[in-house]
Amino acid sequence: MSEQDTPTDAPSDVVTTSAIDASDSLAPAADERLLYRSIFQRLFIRPEVGAIIGIVGIWTFFWAVSETFGTVGQTFGWLDTASTVGIMAVAVSMLMIGGEFDLSSGAMTGAMGMLIIYLVKETGELGGRGFPLVIAIPISLVIALGIGYINGFVVERTGQPSFIITLGTFFALIGLKLGLAKRFVGQIQIGRTDEAADFDFFRLIFAAEWERNTHELEVRDALYIGFIALGFAILALAISELWFQRREKMQPAGLVVFFVGVGLGVGGLLGLHATDGVGANAALVAVMAIGGFVGLFGWATWRYEPSVDHGAMSLDSQMRRRVGLGLAAMVLSFIVAIVFDSSSTHQIFFPFTTQGVRVILYLVFAGIGIGLIAMASQAALSVNAATKFVVTSVFALALGIVALTVFVDSSDTKFRGSLFGVVLAAAVMVFVWAVLTFRFAERRTGSASADRFGARLLALGSVLLFVGIAFRMLFITAEELVAGVPPAKTSVRLLWFILFTIAMMWVLARTRLGSWTFAVGGNKEAARQVGVPAARTKTQLFMLVSVAAWFVGLLVAFRINSIQANSGDGQEFIFIIAAVVGGTLLTGGYGTAFGGAIGACILSIPAIGISSARWNTDWRFLIVGVILLLAVVSNKFLRNKAEGIRR
Amino acid sequence: MSETPLLQLDNISKFYGSITALTGVSTQVAAGEVTCVLGDNGAGKSTFIKILAGVHQQSEGTIRFNGEQVMFDSPRDALDTGIATVYQDLAMVPMMSVWRNFFLGSEPTSGIGPLKWIDTKKAKRIAKEEMAKMGIDIRDTEQPVGTLSGGERQSVAIARAGYFGAKLLILDEPTSALGVRQSGVVLKRIVEAREQGLAVIFITHNPRHAYPVGNRFLILNRGRSLGSFHKSEITVDELTQKMSGGAELEALEHELHGSGATS
Amino acid sequence: MKTSKKLLAILPALALVAASCGGSDDNSSEGSTDTAASVDSAAPAATDAPEEVDQTQGGDLTFHMITHSDDGPFWSVLKRGADAAAADLGVTLVWKPGVNDAQVMVQDIEAAIAEGSDGIAASLPDPDALVGPLQSAVGAGVPVITLNSGSNDYQEIGALTHVGQSEVIAGNGAGQRFNDAGATKILCGQQEQGNVALTERCEGLAETFSGEVVIEFMGLDADTSEQQNTINAALAADTDIDGFMGVGPVITLSGLRAAQDLSRDLTIGGFDLTPELIGEIEAGNIAFTVDQQQYLQGYMPVLLLFLNVTNQNTLGGGLPILTGPGFVTPDNAAEILALSEVGTR
Repeated sequence: MSEQDTPTDAPSDVVTTSAIDASDSLAPAADERLLYRSIFQRLFIRPEVGAIIGIVGIWTFFWAVSETFGTVGQTFGWLDTASTVGIMAVAVSMLMIGGEFDLSSGAMTGAMGMLIIYLVKETGELGGRGFPLVIAIPISLVIALGIGYINGFVVERTGQPSFIITLGTFFALIGLKLGLAKRFVGQIQIGRTDEAADFDFFRLIFAAEWERNTHELEVRDALYIGFIALGFAILALAISELWFQRREKMQPAGLVVFFVGVGLGVGGLLGLHATDGVGANAALVAVMAIGGFVGLFGWATWRYEPSVDHGAMSLDSQMRRRVGLGLAAMVLSFIVAIVFDSSSTHQIFFPFTTQGVRVILYLVFAGIGIGLIAMASQAALSVNAATKFVVTSVFALALGIVALTVFVDSSDTKFRGSLFGVVLAAAVMVFVWAVLTFRFAERRTGSASADRFGARLLALGSVLLFVGIAFRMLFITAEELVAGVPPAKTSVRLLWFILFTIAMMWVLARTRLGSWTFAVGGNKEAARQVGVPAARTKTQLFMLVSVAAWFVGLLVAFRINSIQANSGDGQEFIFIIAAVVGGTLLTGGYGTAFGGAIGACILSIPAIGISSARWNTDWRFLIVGVILLLAVVSNKFLRNKAEGIRR
Repeated sequence: MSETPLLQLDNISKFYGSITALTGVSTQVAAGEVTCVLGDNGAGKSTFIKILAGVHQQSEGTIRFNGEQVMFDSPRDALDTGIATVYQDLAMVPMMSVWRNFFLGSEPTSGIGPLKWIDTKKAKRIAKEEMAKMGIDIRDTEQPVGTLSGGERQSVAIARAGYFGAKLLILDEPTSALGVRQSGVVLKRIVEAREQGLAVIFITHNPRHAYPVGNRFLILNRGRSLGSFHKSEITVDELTQKMSGGAELEALEHELHGSGATS
Repeated sequence: MKTSKKLLAILPALALVAASCGGSDDNSSEGSTDTAASVDSAAPAATDAPEEVDQTQGGDLTFHMITHSDDGPFWSVLKRGADAAAADLGVTLVWKPGVNDAQVMVQDIEAAIAEGSDGIAASLPDPDALVGPLQSAVGAGVPVITLNSGSNDYQEIGALTHVGQSEVIAGNGAGQRFNDAGATKILCGQQEQGNVALTERCEGLAETFSGEVVIEFMGLDADTSEQQNTINAALAADTDIDGFMGVGPVITLSGLRAAQDLSRDLTIGGFDLTPELIGEIEAGNIAFTVDQQQYLQGYMPVLLLFLNVTNQNTLGGGLPILTGPGFVTPDNAAEILALSEVGTR
């Protein structure tokens, strides 16, 4: 019988001691299958990548269709909505990574807000305690922790799905909220957080507001452009560091070139600040761009191994045909854009107007052109450096033609200004990249020090970009005040959202609780066997969610000074959707806190975007549904791809 | 076999209510030795492991570890005593990285006061070193365990047990789900662990895997011990025959009543 | 004469009916504001009333009030009205609040008939389920009055009348207020999608308002900051909007905050009352809110049933009796606030 248990092993199953010795060579052989994965590949397989692509897409979409969506005021608007949803989504993401749900999380936000108000009110409720907030806030925190503990305790003790246990908590909370509200105030709304003696102090913490239009900063634009330019420059260095092979011995001459480039860039920036006028500005931006290129090239010369074998350019007939046809299509699209009048509604033949024909022809030609060239450049990647360089340059040229078309098109100033800049910058970057990858050797092996240095530069560059954007959004210039830009306001809750997200990212990545969260969600039995306190970890995650709900309840209570008994009810599904959109797996063990935060932003954009575009808001939940479906499908796709790369 | 055995079991029995899972099992294992526990499905092997790992407590009998009588209340208890168990289904979280799995439950931390964080640099370095000691070069310890082969995963588990100061390593059917080459890898690890001075209890239903690496063999059948033998007392064929004795008789009976063909 | 004594006690209440029957023109709404004070004076009297009146006659009568909900401030005020009427008249009132479940209401109605109720007042959220049972009540000789919802079906039932507010007429009244304020384009924000009553309010507004009305869903009450930001986005995108009407109290306040954030001077109107909303009206930040005076929806059915049973009176001439729209404006906000704290508004 025992033979039958392992039929495959049976025939050649006699393992001798010598066979074991021979097997020693097996292990390294197995390891050779591990291919080098660059940090980009590893970044690409992060769970939140889908969400980041999603937010860029949906933002661009609403930016394009609405005049006001991209303004600072509306940006603060969707960030404000995202803040409270996001704090919850981050906590809920962590709980979901730990393999559990909390359906009471939405109702709990409202319950906690109400609790605070009950505690501070002087008349009627709870015998008129009238606690100061300094006492009321810790009391409510303890109660929040208690609810989370109960959720976790019951789930662990009964072994029943948390879905059903927390559904019970959900209804209990709804009933409590309504019952207590009507018992104490005879209403479903209770208000006046400001009856507390120390209200003003805590309002600063939970609901301090920042009015952009009262914060004038003359050098704002210089700071903004400076930080953005520096940020992009450092990102470029970071990518080079990760992409290219380091030299054995540095080439100091390159450093000189690098500083020349930096000088040009700084000079351009200073000049930009000092001058006015479109012509001068354009020239100085060009100087900055050249400075950037020179600096990058110098940096690369200094640090990276030059590419030795470029190979001879060899375009096969198919590639040649594609490049040629593609370029021709691009030129045609440009001609179409010039020849036809974009503002004319003259009917050429029913039902096409000049305007319409222009758009259709342009899109067809440009689409064919870009498509053909992209296909060619994909093919060229695998030929050799020279071919790649040529075809990539052609691709940059095609982008340049698009940028030129946008520039010619004067029907819409917003598109002309912003889109022209973006497309031209993309064209320049593609070309610079073509030059660099031609000149320098790509890294094919792992290098811990280069990866570390590159990752740090990436982080630094991102922070600089963030700071630049923050300056742009938080301050106003005298010019704008004169022009009468509408007020824009943000509140400290956005800061809390950012800080909480960062803190939770750190917890997941660097603490035992974080590790154990993934473990109990990924394979609870295994975690328990190696000594992970699974029940405790899950209970702590439930408590984390209820503390987040408590915090959000405070944010709401301080913002509007009153709370509805149904506040937050039903929001738990929004939190879960945000987590899933952010790449967290519904079954646990996989996900990120950052993804949850991005997911919350993605969900808050459509409400503001549709309203800004002045579309019928009835469609809003349709969009939310479509986003969720797209996210689930694309996350699945990305995860499959990720597993493909790992193997 | 001259020194005191690291682990000495006397007349271990386990009853689940009226069901008898294990009766009167005795054996021993010394440091630097491998004791193989053989038995067919339902022989009581998993009950045996769970008692040693602290998941269950024996109903009767005594366990002596280093000469002292012990009783394990929890898996943590057994771990702290120095008994590490590598389960058949592997105590691994497939979606987590190698280094996180390696240190799961015992992460090295540094920190200020109550604020503690995992010393990731140290953890990754040690995981890599320990795997290298086992002859496996994990270049990227960030790689999810789920992408490793079965043998490599067993190796991670064994390396982890060794690193965390286990004196006794219990391996639950480590080769049963593996192909021939991978089984070879795992058996090699068992030999290495033994040579490093660890005591190993190797549970298997395959005598051909057990015999080359074992010093002592405990044979279980339907919850009873069919004896505990030193390698010098038994051959691989005897081992096979003892192990499947009952079953073979049964099979013979079938053949007599059936086609009448001989084996 | 016991009867005449009782009739004297209900005179102020009759004056009130006359005022609210008139319709929705401005004068009558001013009138209804005045009668609020009379309700105020009637309400404290209510507690004493049973002692003044001879209880033996009224004590014979038992009326049933069967409603589909008792959630929130709305229904608690309505119930106070009904209780006050019962106390004033010395009748027994059985309050049977439902939970938005027509089946429960049907059972309550059938039970009331079986108990030999002297009169049934019922709200009618689900005509298909409730018309039949109420018809059989009428058939059994029990007078029926519908309240709150049911203006389209009370005649089919054979009910004496309907006491409630027409959402469309309430919206009409709001539209005229916006006309008077000189608004040209109004955003009518809803806090729920697909709620017929809320849509009727906006459509009623569009009927009488001389400018343009944009009717849109602006986010749920459950997330007020999102509501506020959504309205903010709409206002920022369309600078022609110079009026905002919220069809509930929470969304009205969200609209106010959005306008304040944008420093936009909008004419803002709302629906229903909360202390906070009235406070903003008092401060002059919100122009008005539409009040359906639900106290009357509780008080009047009891009174009318009583008069029908004891004196064979009917009121309304077969038409519904409208309890709204009453308007809370900066002029009367302080008084209304005081009354709302007492719980009769």
